[in-house]
Amino acid sequence: MSTVLATYNIKGGVGKTSAAVNLAYLAARGGARTLLWDLDPQGACTYLLRIRPKVRGGGRKLVRLKSEVGALLKGTDYEGLDLLPADFSYRHMDLALNRFKRPTRRLVRVLAPLRDEYDYVFLDCPPSISLVSESVFEAADALLVPIIPATLSSRTLEQLYGVIDGGGPGKPRILPFFSMVDSRKRMHRDEMERIRGRWPGVLETAIPASAEIERMGVERDVVASYAPNGRQALAYRMLWDEVQRRLAEYASRPQ
Amino acid sequence: MSEDFLLPTGMTVAAAARELAAGLHVRAGKARCSHRAYYDTFDGLLHSAGLLAVWEDGQLALIERDSDQTRARLEMEKPNGRLFASDVEPGRLSEALHELIDVRALLPLVEIDLVERPLDVLDSERKTIVRMLLERPTLARRRLAPRVHVVAVRGYEEALRGVSQMLGSELGFPRAEQSLLDEAVIASGGKPGGTSAKIDLAIAKGERSDRAAAAVLRALLDVIEANLDGAVADVDSEFLHDLRVSVRRSRAVQRELRTVFPPERLAHFREELRWLQQITGDARDLDVYVLEFDAMRALVPESLRADLDPVLDALRRRRTRAHRRMSRALRSERTAALFREWSAFLDGIEELPLGDRPDAASPVAVLAGERIRKVYRRMVRMGGSIDSASPSTEYHELRKQGKELRYLLELFGAVLYPESVVKPMIKDLKALQDVLGRNQDREVQVAMLRSLSDEVSAAPGGSAALMAMGVLVERLEADKHAARLAFGERFEAFGSASRRRLVQETFV
Repeated sequence: MSTVLATYNIKGGVGKTSAAVNLAYLAARGGARTLLWDLDPQGACTYLLRIRPKVRGGGRKLVRLKSEVGALLKGTDYEGLDLLPADFSYRHMDLALNRFKRPTRRLVRVLAPLRDEYDYVFLDCPPSISLVSESVFEAADALLVPIIPATLSSRTLEQLYGVIDGGGPGKPRILPFFSMVDSRKRMHRDEMERIRGRWPGVLETAIPASAEIERMGVERDVVASYAPNGRQALAYRMLWDEVQRRLAEYASRPQ
Repeated sequence: MSEDFLLPTGMTVAAAARELAAGLHVRAGKARCSHRAYYDTFDGLLHSAGLLAVWEDGQLALIERDSDQTRARLEMEKPNGRLFASDVEPGRLSEALHELIDVRALLPLVEIDLVERPLDVLDSERKTIVRMLLERPTLARRRLAPRVHVVAVRGYEEALRGVSQMLGSELGFPRAEQSLLDEAVIASGGKPGGTSAKIDLAIAKGERSDRAAAAVLRALLDVIEANLDGAVADVDSEFLHDLRVSVRRSRAVQRELRTVFPPERLAHFREELRWLQQITGDARDLDVYVLEFDAMRALVPESLRADLDPVLDALRRRRTRAHRRMSRALRSERTAALFREWSAFLDGIEELPLGDRPDAASPVAVLAGERIRKVYRRMVRMGGSIDSASPSTEYHELRKQGKELRYLLELFGAVLYPESVVKPMIKDLKALQDVLGRNQDREVQVAMLRSLSDEVSAAPGGSAALMAMGVLVERLEADKHAARLAFGERFEAFGSASRRRLVQETFV
């Protein structure tokens, strides 16, 4: 049975996609059978992995369970990592989901046939709070939440904890981590300290801001692959180790 | 999906790399050296499930042969001898192995050294759509033919077809007839897919009965001989099991088709195979007791389960002794002579005079059909008079006839008669044999526990063990009774009026 991890934040531009592709890549490199579902209609993950952002039948057919999900998957350049690509029709996924009696269960049902095939399923979610994100909350075992150390970001974290309602059976764990950190900025350092004080569960590893990561769009590759010895790649490796440790702890003491 | 191609005659690996790079849009990766050790069970259970087990770079992996996808893997030391699923650290690999090989052991198959150079085939976005590996394998310092291994990337299967077409038709790379593993196994003197205990013979309906019987018995002797070393070395319990099943099947053919053999010679070989069956009996029974001990232990309340440990210890001691006795007998001149003489006898069967072999030259379908009809009718008669209060001997006799019928159906019926009749008949027979077997097993287990009571009571923890044994005996008796109650329903399906008619009409 796979572990489902969603990179999520209500806010956009915080490093969700970078985290999703890099962590999924590291999971696959570590020998885990890994699937990444690019749920964002912008298709950034799909673009980075050089795959056509097209799903036969679109998002609607997918959530109606009319598509054989296994046949829609694409192998990436990395062994062990497959992608369920983005499709522009995902922009209407809220509407598609809304037609069902229990709309928030649909993603769980879409993923059901794949849960034995993969060890990890990563969901790269579009920003916002919507029916799609509520469905993601039902499907995910944990939310990986990148936060930029700034006041607005901490507010979104507050909102997210409010929505998830402090966890509990059936609710995903929340694993916030700092993203796009510029440690030279005092404001970032202060904000990180304040946020850690407020939410002690924030992961230790912080992903630094750097030009290296911005090159991802040019390289159309994973930073951990094209610059494996850089600061970014190292940070993602540490983050992945920490996430796995945290998941192991959770497994040993259920909510 | 994957395919293998050999290099065109006279082409070097370097030239092949150039040729492929020129013909396709590829990205060449760095060449890497690896050492692979492959494993499978003696009867090739992984091979027949379309899988292979390979140890490489400190990991044992279970891989799908066709797609190269890894089902499960685990970091571990290279297994140098046999490996049971229970030897593998709990996790996905051990679970998958349990399901696939159960009590069989994985055995080393072959080891190869490999230099492989990846050549990824790219699309216009520079995305890998087919993985190609230019492989230079070596087996014990002997070079095997270099090959190009082409693997589809999920979702791009069409591209694999295109690349294969190009390699085969345009670039003139001949398709490899075997996978690298199978080629290495053959080169090292092995048999791809292992040695199965299944008999797969094509027999024509009009074949002479003695020739058909000899062919079946020859195939069974091959299985017996193939499993002998593993049974003696106690590699895993299935060597002895397969050996004994083949002996039993041979004895059934000797009995049921006795009119194709000269009576005196047959009597000798029947006696010898009976002896072989008998000398292996204790060891097999004790194998089963030990293997199924946990299932038996689960019949008593949890609080008493640990108290049964002295029983298991006693069984293990007996098992060791029984295997020693059996190994001596299997290594004896009597066994060697039996195999030698039985083999020569089967080879020369057609040359023997027909005077005392009335059915030797008659078509096998006639003889086998008649035997199937007769044994089936006998079972229907016997089963019809059995109820839950019948003595155990009646159940036991019926079970013996059931085995006889099953072997006839499997060895001859399935080859000579319509599958639509034989398959459901075997299915219902198996279901009936299951309850008969459960009844018999429980009875034998109770007797076995009684025979152990002195030895167990003298061991530390003996009194507690005796008390737990008492509960176990009670549970076994109850289960025996339940099996007897289930008999009626199973027998009804097996001996229904429509089935009786069908048997009468089919096996003629």
